[in-house]
Amino acid sequence: MSATAAAVHSLWTTRALADTAATPAIPTPHIEYAQLSPVLIVFGAAVLGVLIEAFAPRAARYAGQLAVSVVGLAAAFAALVALAADGYAQGRSHVAAMGAVAVDGPALFLQGTIVLIALVATFTFAERRLDPVAHGNRVDSFAAQGSAVPGGEQEQKAVRAGFTTTEVFPLLLFAVAGMMIFPAADDLLTLFVSLEVFSLPLYLLCALARRRRLMSQEASVKYFLLGAFSSAILLFGIALLYGYAGTVSYGGIADVVDGTAKLTPALANTTGNDALLLIGGAMVVMGLLFKVAAVPFHMWTPDVYQGAPTPVTGFMAAAVKVAAFGALLRLLYVVLPGMRWDWRPVMWGVAIVTMVVGAIIAVTQTDVKRLLAYSSIAHAGFLLTGVIAVSPSGVSSVLFYLVAYSFVTLGGFAVVTLVRDAGGEATHLSKWAGLGRRSPLLAAVFAVFLLSFAGIPLTAGFSGKFAVFKAAAQGGAVPLVVVGVISSAIAAFFYIRVIVMMFFQEPQPQGPTVAIPSPLTSTAIALGVAVTLVLGVAPQYFLDLAGKAGVFVR
Amino acid sequence: MSFPLLTVTAVVPAAGAVVTAAVPAARRTAAKWTALAFALATLVLAAVVTARFSPGGARYQLTESHAWITAFGVRYELGVDGIAVVLVLLTAVLVPFVMLAGWHDADPLETSDRRWRPTQGFFALILLVEAMVVIAFESTDVFLFYVFFEAMLIPMYFLIGGFGDQAGAHGEDEQARQRSYAAVKFLLYNLVGGLVMLAAVIGLYAVTAHQLGAGTFSLPQILHDRANGTLTLSTTAERWIFLGFFFAFAVKAPLWPLHTWLPNAMGESTAPVAVLITAVVDKVGTFAMLRYCLQLFPAASKWATPVILVLAVIGIIYGALLAVGQRDIKRLIAYASISHFGFIILGIFAMTSQGQSGATLYMVNHGVSTAALLLVAGFLISRRGSRRIADFGGVQKVAPLLAGTFLVGGLATLSLPGLGPFVSEFLVLVGTFTRYPALGVIATLGIVLAALYVLVLYQRTMTGPVKAGIEGMKDLKVRELVVVAPLIALLLFLGVYPKPVTDVINPAVKDTLSDVHRTDPPPKVTVPAVAAAKENAK
Amino acid sequence: MNAYAPILVLGGLGAGFAIFSVVMASLTGPKRYNRAKLDAYECGIEPTPQPAGGGRFPIKYYLTAMLFIVFDIEIVFLYPWAVTFDALGLFGLVEMLLFVLTVFVAYAYVWRRGGLEWD
Repeated sequence: MSATAAAVHSLWTTRALADTAATPAIPTPHIEYAQLSPVLIVFGAAVLGVLIEAFAPRAARYAGQLAVSVVGLAAAFAALVALAADGYAQGRSHVAAMGAVAVDGPALFLQGTIVLIALVATFTFAERRLDPVAHGNRVDSFAAQGSAVPGGEQEQKAVRAGFTTTEVFPLLLFAVAGMMIFPAADDLLTLFVSLEVFSLPLYLLCALARRRRLMSQEASVKYFLLGAFSSAILLFGIALLYGYAGTVSYGGIADVVDGTAKLTPALANTTGNDALLLIGGAMVVMGLLFKVAAVPFHMWTPDVYQGAPTPVTGFMAAAVKVAAFGALLRLLYVVLPGMRWDWRPVMWGVAIVTMVVGAIIAVTQTDVKRLLAYSSIAHAGFLLTGVIAVSPSGVSSVLFYLVAYSFVTLGGFAVVTLVRDAGGEATHLSKWAGLGRRSPLLAAVFAVFLLSFAGIPLTAGFSGKFAVFKAAAQGGAVPLVVVGVISSAIAAFFYIRVIVMMFFQEPQPQGPTVAIPSPLTSTAIALGVAVTLVLGVAPQYFLDLAGKAGVFVR
Repeated sequence: MSFPLLTVTAVVPAAGAVVTAAVPAARRTAAKWTALAFALATLVLAAVVTARFSPGGARYQLTESHAWITAFGVRYELGVDGIAVVLVLLTAVLVPFVMLAGWHDADPLETSDRRWRPTQGFFALILLVEAMVVIAFESTDVFLFYVFFEAMLIPMYFLIGGFGDQAGAHGEDEQARQRSYAAVKFLLYNLVGGLVMLAAVIGLYAVTAHQLGAGTFSLPQILHDRANGTLTLSTTAERWIFLGFFFAFAVKAPLWPLHTWLPNAMGESTAPVAVLITAVVDKVGTFAMLRYCLQLFPAASKWATPVILVLAVIGIIYGALLAVGQRDIKRLIAYASISHFGFIILGIFAMTSQGQSGATLYMVNHGVSTAALLLVAGFLISRRGSRRIADFGGVQKVAPLLAGTFLVGGLATLSLPGLGPFVSEFLVLVGTFTRYPALGVIATLGIVLAALYVLVLYQRTMTGPVKAGIEGMKDLKVRELVVVAPLIALLLFLGVYPKPVTDVINPAVKDTLSDVHRTDPPPKVTVPAVAAAKENAK
Repeated sequence: MNAYAPILVLGGLGAGFAIFSVVMASLTGPKRYNRAKLDAYECGIEPTPQPAGGGRFPIKYYLTAMLFIVFDIEIVFLYPWAVTFDALGLFGLVEMLLFVLTVFVAYAYVWRRGGLEWD
């Protein structure tokens, strides 16, 4: 459009000009299907799962869903391994789908971790031997009919008819697909969309507990409201960052931050406006900190972890943390490294508060699931110390810690599903007294998980903690390491307290029984133990893997 | 590559732990014998290690070195110097006695529950502790040492909390509560110590990584690089890291005022477990002061010496005074141990060759003498079903053998000449006198107090009229004699002829002192004979 | 500090607007209450009273509304695609087919599970 025309007619323009301007020069977008195949496979499996729900007879759905989920996740993992073998695990990188999704070492590492977590979680989702047989049907941890009023007639009818909510499998797969994109998102819009894609199924899953349904629904509503709130903050932050940089792509924003971007007229007006950058960046980071459950954005965690069905809690605690820390790392290391003198002091504060508050409040907990929730908050703090390092070793240490933490968490929650009394899972700590006397093996396994959480040497938790603290110390954050060490000591106290209850107290007369799980849950627990010990004794291979993966593409 | 003797010495008890734990519930006796066999095998291996060690040779011998976690710069490095050899042997010697003494301590009261297997657990845990202690003595990599220094807390914790003494002054519930309190206190104190050390270990890594390009934990390499100037620690960094290390060792050792977990832990656990705590596990703390604090941070050690020495002397006197006032036999021995650990730390930080040789020798002697005294006390307590001193009296009339061995153990504790501890205590005091005469004088008070608490204990429990509940007391059984007799023989041997041990220790002590750049001060006191000779020469 | 001034201004403006609206409404608005006005506003359904003791919450309204929105949004995407069909070519066709297909999967689920039956 010529300048004179615009000056003369500000409200309309002539046809000839419009025609020339409208000649579309839209470049055909291209999608790298091969590089996106892991995510696409998971999405495909999820869609297939929905179709099974729609067309398969009720009796066949469980087996069908389980098969589709397992095959889908395994295929996705195979695709990831193929990509990694193609060189992406060692420095090769690409930004796929028109700059929306990064395919690089950290992305593949995190996606692989998430897929494996999901595979294990699928096993715990599919467990049907724990709850007593209801009206001749084996049932799992999920409500017979999610829409029925808790305790109502409709629900009883559904239970009698042997309904089960097999939709949990496609929901899980949708969430997994969202989580896979989340740490790989290379522009802010993809980040937001993937956040919603994995959050919405999780809100639903939280509400589907078979026992204590009101608590479960309360948890879900709480999670949804606070989650929506944090999404809104994130979105507002994205808008401000767009206003600052005139682009939502990570690389583009980073260029503007560094001052290396070409100044377009649009940029010229806003680029000096650091307020937009600071506020926008802070809001986006806040949205992510909510997902990783860092203090002061942690309020939802204990309620949601306690109310949600335990397999879902395990999955959430593990996978959401992996995805959100991945996204946080990419955001801070790719978009805002130029701002690190601004965000590092803030993150210092957040890390310190998170570690200390998580550890201290956990001391007073009397419910196993709430205890693990606060412990997950404290672990978020430990992970943040690695994030603050702003160095390759910081990235790789966080990646390693996430693997170590997530499988132990999955195993820990799987153990929680086994300890039951008449009301379902016996999560009150007093009921765990003397468990070591009744079933030494289970108690020993749980003790191993707790020791790993506490960071005792020769467990995965120690290797992870050492890695992040080492990275932090090398980055000059020695006081942070000291705080971390102190809060580890506090945290150790409550882990030890559970061990004391299990081993050194007399069992209660009406204590809980330990259900004999099917191979599904046993596999989840055994994997947890194996990861704990292997990463504790011989972590070298996985440290190498994380170390080679430690470079983000920009 | 030669035969990995040191690894095998640690692997054998670890494998024994696994095998013992796997013995079926009903075959308790088989589990015991299995465990004992593995403990004896470890003893044989430790003897081989000692035999293969040549005192005048290289500083670290029988070394093994493999990459472990290269990302952290951690190597699996083993090697023993004279001090480590002696302590490995001490550990291997004591564990079979611990097992024999605790032969029936973990028999389950009811055998109906098939999955509850306390006996297997008890013996497996003892072997596990032994394996971890041995590897902690043998490692020359700071990280490797740290890993086992921390990890040994867990089996120890289960031993204290899971297998308590049934002879407290209170009811059974109160007893269980006390025991779990003691176990948790033990664990938390040591865990906090260990975590502080973790921060220091990370600090050490950061410093080495910064200066050498790649972080390392290898003790020989760090010493080498410091000697040739490639690695220099700033004064502040050295002091902080030293404090981190020392704090952990001071908790473990235990040094006053970080000692309060020891009386609880020793009081509530069974006598064999108490021996394991004080004679074996705590030695890792004092050993680590010698090996890590002094060698890695010589300047900071010198800087901290005055404070540490004062704390050690306070510990000597405080422990002894509280021992005098105890009404519980095991707590009395625990406080006596605190006093003795004060002597050991005094000897280490006096930084004289006599002091450090004495301290190392003291570790051995204290291990043997405390084991003898505690195990006999354990036999005594289990016979009476109480550990209150007031419940005993006149035992020597009923069970003379028991009383006699108790007396020998007690006399060793008060450092009677002719028994092992005398030599070491003498050396420590001589070493202290040459540099810090005032502290030496105060520390000597500890010996006087030791005589007081030991003899009063003996007098109250063994002499006098036979009290109610003591009449039918049986004398030592064969198994118990097998436990006590060799320990007493060892005490006598070490008291009369400590040379074999000091020969092994002395070169290592000399190396350590040269790391700290200290030499023995020249004698300041003018010896009359020398003075007279000088006069004559004129 | 200057960099942070706008956030204060923004907060001030937001609070000011909220206070202004509420105050002005209460000062200037006519107040003629009736029952319907005092009810909490829920578009389309009676918010209270809820059927007590195990009654079902009628969600059909929401379901229909949601389905409408889904297909509405689908149209929103279809329209610009139709306009630029030439430029996008085969790629656009394939992508759009995938998009329509996934929406229809959800539709099939709702239909098969009885979501479209109004009783």
